[in-house]
Amino acid sequence: MAAIIEVEKLTKSYGGKRGIADVSLQVEEGEVFGFLGPNGAGKTTTIRLLMALLHADSGTARIAGLDCWKESVAIKRLIGYIPGEPALDPNLTGGQILEYFAHLRGGVDQSYLEQLIQRFDLDTSRKFRQYSTGNKRKVVLIQAFMHRPRLLILDEPTSGLDPLNQQEFDRMVKDVRDEGRTVFLSSHVLSEVEKTCTRVGIIRDGSLVRIGGMAEVSAIKRYEITITFADPVPVETFKTLDGVAEVESLNHGHGVRLAMQGPADAVIKAAARYPVVSLTSHEPSLEDIFLRYYQADGAPAKEPQSVA
Amino acid sequence: MWLRSIFLKTLRDYRVAILGWGIGMGLVVISPMASVAALVTTPQARHQLISLAATFAWNADPVAVDTIGGYATFKIGIFIFLIALWPLLAGSRMLRGEEDRGSLDVLLSLPRPRLSVALEKLAAMWTALFVMGVLIGLLAFAGGKKFGGDFGLGDALFYGLNLALICAVIGSLALLISQFTQEQGPAAGWTAGLLLVFIVLDMVHRVVPNSDWISRLSPIYYYNLSKPLVPSYGVNAGAMVLLLALAAVIAGSAVWLFVRRDVGGTVPLPRWLRLPERNVSRALPVGDWSLGSVYARSLGMIAMPAFWWTLGTAAFAGWMVYAVQLIETKLATLLSGSPAFTSLIKNLGGGDVSVNAGFLSAMFFFLPLFVMAFAVTQVNRWSADEQDGRLELVLATPQPRPAVLLGRFAALATATVAISVITLIASAGAAAAAGLNVDSGHLAAATLGVIPLGLLIAAIGYLAAGWLRTAADTGLLSFLLAAWFFISFIGPELKLPDATLRLSAFYYYGTPLLHGLQLTSVLGVLVVTAVALGLGALRFANKDIGV
Repeated sequence: MAAIIEVEKLTKSYGGKRGIADVSLQVEEGEVFGFLGPNGAGKTTTIRLLMALLHADSGTARIAGLDCWKESVAIKRLIGYIPGEPALDPNLTGGQILEYFAHLRGGVDQSYLEQLIQRFDLDTSRKFRQYSTGNKRKVVLIQAFMHRPRLLILDEPTSGLDPLNQQEFDRMVKDVRDEGRTVFLSSHVLSEVEKTCTRVGIIRDGSLVRIGGMAEVSAIKRYEITITFADPVPVETFKTLDGVAEVESLNHGHGVRLAMQGPADAVIKAAARYPVVSLTSHEPSLEDIFLRYYQADGAPAKEPQSVA
Repeated sequence: MWLRSIFLKTLRDYRVAILGWGIGMGLVVISPMASVAALVTTPQARHQLISLAATFAWNADPVAVDTIGGYATFKIGIFIFLIALWPLLAGSRMLRGEEDRGSLDVLLSLPRPRLSVALEKLAAMWTALFVMGVLIGLLAFAGGKKFGGDFGLGDALFYGLNLALICAVIGSLALLISQFTQEQGPAAGWTAGLLLVFIVLDMVHRVVPNSDWISRLSPIYYYNLSKPLVPSYGVNAGAMVLLLALAAVIAGSAVWLFVRRDVGGTVPLPRWLRLPERNVSRALPVGDWSLGSVYARSLGMIAMPAFWWTLGTAAFAGWMVYAVQLIETKLATLLSGSPAFTSLIKNLGGGDVSVNAGFLSAMFFFLPLFVMAFAVTQVNRWSADEQDGRLELVLATPQPRPAVLLGRFAALATATVAISVITLIASAGAAAAAGLNVDSGHLAAATLGVIPLGLLIAAIGYLAAGWLRTAADTGLLSFLLAAWFFISFIGPELKLPDATLRLSAFYYYGTPLLHGLQLTSVLGVLVVTAVALGLGALRFANKDIGV
């Protein structure tokens, strides 16, 4: 499949302050790409460069083969956008805002627009300033989806939405994906990325530190095994086994908690030599992966030695 | 120290306003003092000034207008509206503004009664008004000393106190009204409307005989009962106490209502006063003309402020045209007895001041000032929209950046043309009503000639907004406007060189009421406007948005 977003060594600084440096990535047409990073990492700067709201210091960014800066008007016909901190005319009603943006886009399918309003249960007669945070977000979401864009660029799209509307948003992203359209989504909500994205990129301090499919990213993850024994078991039994990163003794030797990085075969075989009461394994969330990559020293976390 | 209590913190928030508004309004009071001496150089001129003031009694009581204090009191007249603006805004914002922002929720989560929060904030506003009053009084005293006033420090301080009291009434009224509105804007709007009604009610007894009872309904009436800058007239202690009591009762009612209502809600109105329940709607507006394009939306945004500016500008021009005929004889005597005033009118009017057209021409000098000030407010709005991120989603649609800027500029140009055309119609109507013989071509030139100047300052503002943030852009334009006005207003008296006078945009407006428009000047202004606008559009097309 062809890449719809192609970013090559994109760099942007704000005077002396860092923005992003040498960011390169590609997003294939039809995929849902998650863009992860803590506050100030450079997610919004990257997105605003794609939207031609900022001018890059160096590097290139192309969408659908078009240069993001030079051919921005043509690109914006293809895009639906949600900014990180959306601001709209506070004196217009939600309906007026949607109608205004529909005109600026050269018209939209009114029945689809009405369908979106129904899906989000939006009262269109209130002024934007009178909306709650969640309802403001609904207006912004609808304006991004209403013209069925080929590419959706969404910066923290579900911030402020209640769980029901988040579910509705997830369904809409799934519909978009099923129709072969593309979503570039930045988020702090890792469960949301896990649910909706096919690939993720992790950015920190302005640089892309990891990019790959969900499975590939998950391969670096650690997981946890907790074993409870009928009798005390020496913790040294597990310390040197393949795949064990950390060992912690529990309940006066009646249990162990193992941080795993790799296959569990050796652990299972070692544990089988003792009377096992229970064994549980926890899959780490993207949160864990995320936190590992944002430890203070900047580099991916070193694998710690076992502790007893 | 300033963060130790709600009272001190609120007072700290007011510190810039206290100094800015106090000193600014003090200077407004001083400015007429400077011109009295020039107006009364001969007994005839003094007599005519008194007579002329009587013609304008609707504005204020013409008491001892040939004295420094009396003339200043008279000139302030209906400008009390200007002085009351700050308390009006502060009162409407005091609680409702914090509720809008959500900061009151945090404040009320502290272990502190709601009553105490409201009272501390109210006390801070009143303290700020009192300090402003003292500043105005001190500046009035300094002005009196400088220009030979016959009032003392105590009189000047009472003058400031009287102003502070009427401002406290207006501020408290805004606070009360804000208990019934969901947002601070409507509270400020309703209070401003009531203030206008109060001003008009107060005027009634000066225009219509035996109508004192109507004017007594207005707090402004009681404010005007004291004229401390006129020692022979003095202070009406009863009126001042009444104003204090009125402020206390209104503010007390507001606080009483505040502690009993929902935070973020309003005081429930009686059923018969309530608006009909609004049903939830999922309909889309169809056929709304203002939503079709950036230009149409910009026009929709500018419509209401343009309406008020048009009303003010057209009313000013119309009234001047109408009044000049009525005051012709008195004006001629006043001018003949006052060389300084004559010179000023001649510099501004650009012609023989013994004729009405000369005086009118001088008055029309203010028209481009009004229109340019309007343009500055709209440039401020553009800049604020960019700074606050409101352009981001518009620029995410397939609209070229220059088209967005030019759409806004075109709407401003449309409003400027509308203001000028309606001012022309009002002036021509007033001339016909007063039987004043004015060259219609020159009248058209004087009113429509302001359009290029309005567009010029707007284009400069749009260009500067490419680099400056909102406050700096507005500050730069305000400074430019003030500097141009100073150069053209005072420059000829100071014998500034012609090259300096040419730096002012007003120079190119000329004296169209007497001499028509100078085509080369108009074209020159339009060329500079086009260049500035072109550069502004180019800059906007290439800049980082919202940085």
